[in-house]
Amino acid sequence: MRFDTPGREIRAVNGIDVNVGAGEVFALVGESGSGKSVSMLSVMGLVPTPPAVVTGSILFDGLELVGLGRSKMNAIRGGEIGMVFQDPMSSLNPVHRIGRQIAEVLHLHQKISRRDAMDQAGELLDKVGIPNAGGRLKDYPHEFSGGMRQRVMIAIALACGPRLLIADEPTTALDVTVQRQIVTLVQQLQADLGMAVIWITHDLGVVAEIADRVAVMYGGRIVETGNAADLYRTATHPYTSGLLHSIPRTDTIRTEWLPEIPGTPVQLVDDLLSCPFHSRCPMGDDSCVASLPTLEASGREGQFSACVHHASILDGGDLWPSLDREVTAAVEHGDELLVSIEGLKVHFPVERGGRARRKAVVLAVDGVDLELRRGRTLGIVGESGCGKSTLGRALVGLVEATDGRVLIKGEPLDTSSGPHRRTVQMIFQDPFSSMNPGMRVGDVVAEPMRVHNIGSADERSERVAKLLGQVGIPAEAATRHPHEFSGGQRQRIAIARALAANPEVIVCDEPVSALDVSVQAQIVNLLHETQLETGVSLIFIAHDLAVVRHISHEVAVMYLGQVVERAPRDDIYETPLHPYTKALLAAVPVPDPSSSIALAPPLEGDLPDPSDPPTGCRFHTRCPVAVIGLCDEIIPELRVVDTDRWVACHLVEASTDQSFLAGEGDIRGDLGLLAEQGG
Amino acid sequence: MRPLGLRNIFRYLAVFVVAVSLNFMLPRLMPGNPLALLAGVDVGLMTPAERAEVIEAVGLDAPLIQQFIDYWWSVLRLDLGFSFRSERQISEMIMERLPWTLLITVGSLAVSAVVGIVLGGFSAWRRGKKSDLSLLTGMISLQSLPSFWLGMLLISVFSVQLGWFPSFGAVTPASDFEGWGHIGDIAKHAILPIVTLTVLSIPGVYLTMRYAMLEVLGSDFIRTARAKGASEARVLFGHVARNAIAPVVTFLAIRFAFAFGGSVIIETVFSYPGLGRLIFEAVSGRDYPVMQATFLVFTVAVLVANLVADLLYPILDPRMRVR
Repeated sequence: MRFDTPGREIRAVNGIDVNVGAGEVFALVGESGSGKSVSMLSVMGLVPTPPAVVTGSILFDGLELVGLGRSKMNAIRGGEIGMVFQDPMSSLNPVHRIGRQIAEVLHLHQKISRRDAMDQAGELLDKVGIPNAGGRLKDYPHEFSGGMRQRVMIAIALACGPRLLIADEPTTALDVTVQRQIVTLVQQLQADLGMAVIWITHDLGVVAEIADRVAVMYGGRIVETGNAADLYRTATHPYTSGLLHSIPRTDTIRTEWLPEIPGTPVQLVDDLLSCPFHSRCPMGDDSCVASLPTLEASGREGQFSACVHHASILDGGDLWPSLDREVTAAVEHGDELLVSIEGLKVHFPVERGGRARRKAVVLAVDGVDLELRRGRTLGIVGESGCGKSTLGRALVGLVEATDGRVLIKGEPLDTSSGPHRRTVQMIFQDPFSSMNPGMRVGDVVAEPMRVHNIGSADERSERVAKLLGQVGIPAEAATRHPHEFSGGQRQRIAIARALAANPEVIVCDEPVSALDVSVQAQIVNLLHETQLETGVSLIFIAHDLAVVRHISHEVAVMYLGQVVERAPRDDIYETPLHPYTKALLAAVPVPDPSSSIALAPPLEGDLPDPSDPPTGCRFHTRCPVAVIGLCDEIIPELRVVDTDRWVACHLVEASTDQSFLAGEGDIRGDLGLLAEQGG
Repeated sequence: MRPLGLRNIFRYLAVFVVAVSLNFMLPRLMPGNPLALLAGVDVGLMTPAERAEVIEAVGLDAPLIQQFIDYWWSVLRLDLGFSFRSERQISEMIMERLPWTLLITVGSLAVSAVVGIVLGGFSAWRRGKKSDLSLLTGMISLQSLPSFWLGMLLISVFSVQLGWFPSFGAVTPASDFEGWGHIGDIAKHAILPIVTLTVLSIPGVYLTMRYAMLEVLGSDFIRTARAKGASEARVLFGHVARNAIAPVVTFLAIRFAFAFGGSVIIETVFSYPGLGRLIFEAVSGRDYPVMQATFLVFTVAVLVANLVADLLYPILDPRMRVR
């Protein structure tokens, strides 16, 4: 297949050749703007032409899809090729019932009566693992959770028994535990139905788990392709190996600094004459600029790389060594207790309306005790909806605590404005919407100083220049506007802004999750460097357990508004104790197809309604080892089980030298019951 | 589906109470003698005895709170007072005029809704193409036409020159049409005012629909529909239209209020015997009680239009249904 899509002078895809065999699982990997989604959307004829122009040839079972007539294309879409999209929240029509949306695709491709179509829709829902399938046909999309909606999307895509399923980042918007469920589901369905799957993603971990073959895209081109196992073992393109090295992992030895790919991903405007990656590549030299490298056989059978240096990469040049960064002026700091959170509760009332006029309360944060010392990083992880972001906001005073309090250096924090707010600053998830587009970068960074009356105007602009330099942004940038910068650069500006007020604590709410994978390492390293240089304490909130492992000294795991486990980093990742922590860690895909770690069964179900949490242990409804009569009745306290280790689980036994989960070792008789699948 | 929540009904009731109370205060706050405002008489020409008589007749001698209670009591009994000028019950006058205004406003709203939605949908479907852009330009020019000018233009062309439609009134005076003939006569008289109001309403409906359609066309679930293999027509009518219609309903409710207010000009131009014309007559004759009563009717009409939109919303969008 070849595409050339000069929509508004942007060459989204620049001549790619891909073939996917029947029954094969093929992964297309790339960052945003690499052209991976656009190329597969054009297979479905879903790229609007004009403005886009698709040239070349796309053959589906011998049938030319480029320029195919509309009605013939409609027969292919949904009938022969099914597609699942990234965001399940917006990919279903909000005003039609689920049953009707599934039945629609059946009616479009088969002569089938209304009743038969509805029956079949029920069977499909059941097949994709939706409980009480028949009863849910009459529900609307908003009555389903994100994971369940993605199951519905899969049911729609598979309704007519397609021979190819294209999944465009199908798990990116989902939690790891739900991602695991969806990956497992697609694997099962693929094995049952024998269809081919094209899985588009930026996540090398998921690819390692699901794909037979992989193609890596950069700048609208395929830079490397091959069997998944070969590619992960010996990457023959610097970009592939850079990605594999720069992503933090949960299963390898942690290095202090992540290897980072410098620069930002390219946005292609002109014809490609040289390797699009050369400016970011450690091997980039004149020969890379002189010509456009094409895919050549490299390494193992079926492996191809578009790099003029692919032979020497294979020779084992250590392309991406872990950095040994010199920190200019590491400050000495004590380990004074900086933040202590005592019994913090944040409850939001929600309007349920209706006859009963029941006032529901979402228990976003429900009794959290944590503390943080100077110069340390506390990681907070959990699924979306566990209250980690609300906790972060409460720490900065953006939301009012319902009960309990936050002490900063022994002083209670309140939500009124004033100088006490200077000590805690925040970095937000979305670098695009968290900056006033009308302000210049210099003003954005200077604002905290203005608010807190720090320095004169001259001193402030001097400090802005210094801060920008510190985060790797040229000082001239101060007069430009935020939209002129990429996501990674804006996140750097956000860090400069947070530092401007000379804070003692910075709350980072998912600071890298909106960034491209090749840029994440830069920001993680920058935060680490900043901490060493200024002695600032960090609270790092993220759903990505690998990133949290990399940056944190201590980690707290949250579930439904409560901390279920809290421990020093290495302890929690090496010997997780709480069943929820174990399930979370097991759900993280490991970017290594040959990984020997046995895949744990996916955690079942969704997060329960946070306004009506389960009785007893809030996790017991999804816990694989829950003991009925104990876990569903008695609330487990967060208790010390080892040095610096706290766990809220009845089944974790404490001992002087080692803690373990009941079921792994010998179990005390007084528990009596033991779930067989435990451990 | 259940009707809208109790809270919403209370909200409408609250607005109604405030609006009606303001209507009570209006003539008492205005400069000059409330006697003139409430009795609609030239106070200067009256003898003190006559004044006292009138004051007692309209209850102005009672304490304010008593007047307020009396006022509410009469509003609830639909007794809107007495026009001294035309010597008739005002409620009777309004009931006589209201159907005509409703006929041309609701009629024009219905027509403009259909035409605006169809054209807006068509335009969005052909977005960026010649047909879309010329429609868009045409609609924007249409929107800037003054209503009285358009009305007079229509009269001069269709009534005066072509003689197709009558230029004034709602029925032919002193005619004795019956059955279909009567309806035909009414229709003939209503067409020009309805066309005027319709032409003025279409651009708004069109622009709202076009914008809403474009918004929906760009959403993810439309891509899903296409990926299912749905034809362009199915995508448009099966998926886009229903999602795009909600903002149009809101617009129509607002437009209804506008059309009601705009009827003053239209009905004057066409000498149409509706509420707008009644206001015009009341203003020129300084018939204050009639003005006060018609304002009240306008308020209620706007409230009802909004209520209808609120009731329609959950039908159109299941996410709005009270759980």
